[in-house]
Amino acid sequence: MVVMKHEIEAALAQEAQAISSGTLKEDNPLDTSDNFRTFCEACRRGDQKVCQEMIFAGVNINARDRFDYTPLILASLCGHFDVIRLLLEHGALCERDTFQGERCLYNALNDRIRNLLLSYDYAKSTNPLQPLAAHITSLLSRPMPKTTDITITTYDETFHLHKFILAARSPYFAKKLAVAPTTASWKLPHNIPSASLSVALQYLYFAEVSLRSATYGLSDDEELVVLNGIEKISRQLEIERMFETVTEVSDRRLMRQQRTDELDRGRDQLDAWFRDNVLRNKAVVDTDKVENLQWDRENSIFADILLRADDADPCDLDQTDTAIKSSTPPVRNTLGPLNAIPVGPTKSRSPSRHRAPRKSTLYPAHRAMLLRSEYFLTMFSSSFREAQETSHLQIVKLDCSPVVLETILSFLYTEKADFGLDIAIDVLFAADQLFIEKLKQRAALIISSLGNGASPQVQFDNSRGETDAEETVDIYEVIRAAWDTRVQRLEEFGARYIAYRLEHYVDEPEFAELVQESAKRVTARQETDTVELVDDIRYYLSERFRLRFEDSGLDELMDETPRDISEIGDQDAEVHEADGYAHEADGYVPDIETQLAAGAIRTLDGEIAGDEFNQDAINYQILLGKIEDLLDNLKLDA
Amino acid sequence: MIAGRGRQRIRPPRRGLHGDEVDFENTWGIIASAFREIHTKNASRLSYEELYRHAYRIVLKKKGEELYARVRQFEHEWLSNEVRGSVQALFSPNVLANTQSLGGTTANERRVAGEKFLKGLKQAWGDHQVCMSMLADVLMYMDRVYCQDNRRPSIYTAAMMLFRDDILKTPTSDAEGRVVLGLLTHVILDQIQMERDGDVIDKHLIKSCVYMLEGLHDDDKESEELRLYNVSFEREYLDTSREFYHQEAELLLRDSDAGAYCRHARRRIYEEEERCKSTLLESTSPRIQKVVEDELIKHRIHELVEMESGVRFMIDNERLDELNLIYDLNNRVDGNKSELTRAIQKRIVDMGTDANKAAIAASQSTAPAADAGGEKGKGPAPERNSNQQTVAAIKWVEDVLQLKDKFDKVWRESFNSDNLLQTALTRSFADFINSSAFPRSSEYISLFIDENMKKGIKGKTEMEIDNVLEKAIILLRYVQDKDLFERYYKKHLCRRLLMNKSISNEVEKQMISKMKIELGNNFTLKLEAMFKDMTISEELTSGFKHHVEGLGEKDPRRIELAINVLTSMTWPLETMGSSDDDGGKRPKCNFPIAIDRIRRGFEKYYNQKHSGRQLTWLANMGSADIKALFSKIPQKDGTFKERRHELNVSTYGMIILLLFNELPATQHLTFEEIQAQTNIPVNDLIRNLQSLAVAPKTRILLKEPMSKDVRPTDRFFFNEGFNAKFVKIKVGVVSSGNKVESDRERRETEKKNDDSRGFCIEAAVVRIMKQRKELAHQQLVMETLSQLAGQFKPEVNMIKKRIESLIEREYLERIEGVTIDSYRYLA
Repeated sequence: MVVMKHEIEAALAQEAQAISSGTLKEDNPLDTSDNFRTFCEACRRGDQKVCQEMIFAGVNINARDRFDYTPLILASLCGHFDVIRLLLEHGALCERDTFQGERCLYNALNDRIRNLLLSYDYAKSTNPLQPLAAHITSLLSRPMPKTTDITITTYDETFHLHKFILAARSPYFAKKLAVAPTTASWKLPHNIPSASLSVALQYLYFAEVSLRSATYGLSDDEELVVLNGIEKISRQLEIERMFETVTEVSDRRLMRQQRTDELDRGRDQLDAWFRDNVLRNKAVVDTDKVENLQWDRENSIFADILLRADDADPCDLDQTDTAIKSSTPPVRNTLGPLNAIPVGPTKSRSPSRHRAPRKSTLYPAHRAMLLRSEYFLTMFSSSFREAQETSHLQIVKLDCSPVVLETILSFLYTEKADFGLDIAIDVLFAADQLFIEKLKQRAALIISSLGNGASPQVQFDNSRGETDAEETVDIYEVIRAAWDTRVQRLEEFGARYIAYRLEHYVDEPEFAELVQESAKRVTARQETDTVELVDDIRYYLSERFRLRFEDSGLDELMDETPRDISEIGDQDAEVHEADGYAHEADGYVPDIETQLAAGAIRTLDGEIAGDEFNQDAINYQILLGKIEDLLDNLKLDA
Repeated sequence: MIAGRGRQRIRPPRRGLHGDEVDFENTWGIIASAFREIHTKNASRLSYEELYRHAYRIVLKKKGEELYARVRQFEHEWLSNEVRGSVQALFSPNVLANTQSLGGTTANERRVAGEKFLKGLKQAWGDHQVCMSMLADVLMYMDRVYCQDNRRPSIYTAAMMLFRDDILKTPTSDAEGRVVLGLLTHVILDQIQMERDGDVIDKHLIKSCVYMLEGLHDDDKESEELRLYNVSFEREYLDTSREFYHQEAELLLRDSDAGAYCRHARRRIYEEEERCKSTLLESTSPRIQKVVEDELIKHRIHELVEMESGVRFMIDNERLDELNLIYDLNNRVDGNKSELTRAIQKRIVDMGTDANKAAIAASQSTAPAADAGGEKGKGPAPERNSNQQTVAAIKWVEDVLQLKDKFDKVWRESFNSDNLLQTALTRSFADFINSSAFPRSSEYISLFIDENMKKGIKGKTEMEIDNVLEKAIILLRYVQDKDLFERYYKKHLCRRLLMNKSISNEVEKQMISKMKIELGNNFTLKLEAMFKDMTISEELTSGFKHHVEGLGEKDPRRIELAINVLTSMTWPLETMGSSDDDGGKRPKCNFPIAIDRIRRGFEKYYNQKHSGRQLTWLANMGSADIKALFSKIPQKDGTFKERRHELNVSTYGMIILLLFNELPATQHLTFEEIQAQTNIPVNDLIRNLQSLAVAPKTRILLKEPMSKDVRPTDRFFFNEGFNAKFVKIKVGVVSSGNKVESDRERRETEKKNDDSRGFCIEAAVVRIMKQRKELAHQQLVMETLSQLAGQFKPEVNMIKKRIESLIEREYLERIEGVTIDSYRYLA
């Protein structure tokens, strides 16, 4: 359907009017803050790291700048696929049949981006909070495992509910339960029909309620009774906003905005409650005494399970590390002596010399929320010890540090997951163990966006393989984690990361080890007969250099070079045979730096190239050659 | 939260938790002992978290394969050592006994033993399932990571397969080497057989065993069609069922009647369906249905239908329920219901043929009687004969209608108004109505209508009349030679109209419009024209009356004229009363002067209105009202009275009577004299004289000698002493009603019909050829047949002849040198 221009204009004018009169909230409000400007700038340049930081800092991802650009439009216009994906995953809207949405699609640099945008169309994707809301709603009707701790009865129906949700969502219940936390049942006055209560409860449990469905099939009189009941109950529970939320809105957009607002508000309530109760009530005790700790089932925050996470004792950690180093040849040891990258918590090394008793942290929690993890769902549904009712709360130990546990809890309760790189891998593993797929993806996202060290822009300039002075990522660790937890995205990230710094890694023995591991994985999976990691690296390597050439529009240069390169390659190979690379690697890296400092243009071999492009082309071939050699040495086919 | 921190470093995962080597043997030891606890139902003290963590670490350390193998090994040992023994303990002699022979143990013993066996197996299976789901919970990470990556079946599935191999597929202890699975199948089948024989069995128990079989697969790929249920059980079940029902069907056919058989079959079908729902699996339902249907119906339907108490019996005795059963059963196995259709059709044709025969017999039965009646009354005998025939005709129609009603009812109530059967019924009716052994259907139907028009509908409500008409139309629908019917109908209608015998013009028109709907415009064109002629004639009559009144002085002796002008093409004049030996050269009779004057007057009047038309007077079809005055003669009571009578006589009768007007009372006229003076055709004259001088009630003339026959030498006197009770007297002319035709007449009708058919065929051929220019012979015949299907079914021979004749007349020519006979149209 083609809409005529004047119709579009009329629609836009109508929308503007609705916005100015306050009935409709603007989808893309003007934002002139510094943060937002930085954000937009990052989107233009394709700087994932800054984007991620800005998103964590809380800028409105759907705002627009002075020129009516939204970050998403900027990123898709400039063609930064990863940034676009990042934005979309964090709730940037691109909806067909809206002005900004169509603009975004129209401006997309290529089809790949356009398809990505379309795949996130609002009609298909959902509010990022929807999974949380859906889970809480499902609690209303979930018979197994039992998580409810209070019943509300009307004259003809009984509802099984969760105190902590009631307390979090309704100030009335919060007060009431604070006074008497052990209340196990509550009776509603007879004059409120159960239909009204049901609507109110659905509202409290984040369901999308509408009066129409609640009063469907009722006569006018009955409908009035129900409506009155809803009004009464909303006043009693002090959830006055409910009535207006429940009332039907015909406009799709308005409805969605309302829903988004409501979800945000509800999440904030949960979040506040979570921090005030769960986190505040965490207990730190000595590990050896943890078994003695007893929480009564009747507690003020209605927890029904205790989660325990043991502090990693710095001394222990250190010792085990060394122990491993000495005892076993490193299977996944990244602390090899050759490695210049410092890994591990170094800061606590000295102060922990004296032996402090190991600490454990206990978090009181609610099974109802933990069920979001499949691990807990299985645990509580099974007939093992954890699933049984005991007079004192069960303590379930989790295989992670308290910080990680806290992160997981806050994700389960509030869908919030903003944590730093420092614990990202831990979170990744923990999420994998507990089957929290979304958190896993989030961790992977954080690693790949923050871990990049610098923006791709910087990488382009980095085509000559200059390395950051400071590494932020132990890339071997990341790739292994990606394999262990089966996160494709992280594998790609790792391959790309290495490709862009290949000259730095290619000669390290750890790299060879990694390639070997990758090859083994392949044989185990019997999928392809190539080494996945190497393939990926080659791909990104070609991307890295091709970008360079395309940028300059000097493709023909490639036609000239092969001859030169093959010659150079021959020489190169000879040199390799003569010297072996370890030595060479040590040789040229500092060398090139000094050369660069001197302003001369040289290849990685240290020869002086004609110009930068020539140099790139030669470098590319050299790097490819090195990989080949590496594979030869490892006796791998690729 | 993070933005402010500036450069961050990624930390490797904590060594303390998952960096180090796992002591596989130790960890496995922990896990294995926990599994043992689970199997002995002591799981509640175990910590899920701990077990999961152990399994998780093993998998993370890439030892998933080893773990998987160990778990399998563990389960294998458990099943072979612990479970198999307890299952084998269940083989009581009674269970094993029935594998060898059915004798020796009572059904009850077998049932109890079987149930015990099933119970034990179900218990073992249930336990295994519960334990394995707990194991699977603990090993969730292995399932998700190791098994998926390595394309292994999940541990749960693997364990189920182990159960299959270690328990179900192990041999029983007896010498036969049967496996447990076979025994299980046998026990279940035995139980089902008991239920079929009327015992009560534990359906739940069997169902849960069936579920077990459903959950297991014969191969390791879990393909749908290789479920153990399908592979080992269902096949056997279907086989034994087939055998059972085969025998049962034989027994039943021998021992019970068709109705009982149907009821039984239906019950069995229903039972099997129920059994699939309650005891077995729904997926078996269509298959076992097919077996039952095949055995009880498909292979038996022929015998069933042909049974003594089969379809024929049911139809004759109006067993609607049973017919419905048969229909239902036949419908299950055969969408065309061919057996039932065949039987029904046969019955219809039989009954129809009976009706045909009865009609022929009825029409002929009087003929010998008439012959026996001797020579003395040649006149009345054929009359009675033809009356008899009319009665037979009407009876035939009513029989057929009754038949139709009967089968309609059967069709409606027993056959669920099935479309296929309806066409079959129609075809059968058409078959016997058009059967070559019974050529009179068209005539009979027309007669039936005629009868109803004249008498039948008197005093009936509109609804009833409509019903009658509708029935006639229904029969008409079956008739193939519609043109023949048209011919008869025209003839009969003509009589009705001219003689004013029709009770209601409205009904006549209604009939015509019904035919129009049924047979199309063409068919009724001429019939409608007849009605039109009638109305025009009325107008003419009244117009002429005015005309005459306008001519001046009023003549008290004026003769009033009512006239019907008939278009010669539309009316079947040749069939009217007179025989046609004098057809074209019909002599003009001499009208008396008074009459002749008015005739000329009308001709003049008519020619003024329509110039160029020629009127031919058909005196043989008219009638006249005459006022006659009889002189005083002594009555029975002795009074003398002049008597006035109004005589209604035919036109010829009037002419004859008028001759006597001018004659002195005692004088007479001989037959020849009358004939000479009036020039009335001899045949008509004889008949008229018969009605005037022979019929006792209307003996206005006296004849000498007094006999029933009229001979040329007879003399006629005016009967002065004529006496009658009524003032108005109608003098009927012999044989003027619509009767069944004599054979001779029929031959004529057919000949005429064939002639007109010839024209129709020629017209059709020319139409087709004009359009196609060239056409092969076969095609031309086909097209001609299809064009004429609405009117009649021409014989191919006739078409050939017509084509020949067209070629002779150079409408067509043969195309030379073509392999297939073809014709070309010559413009």
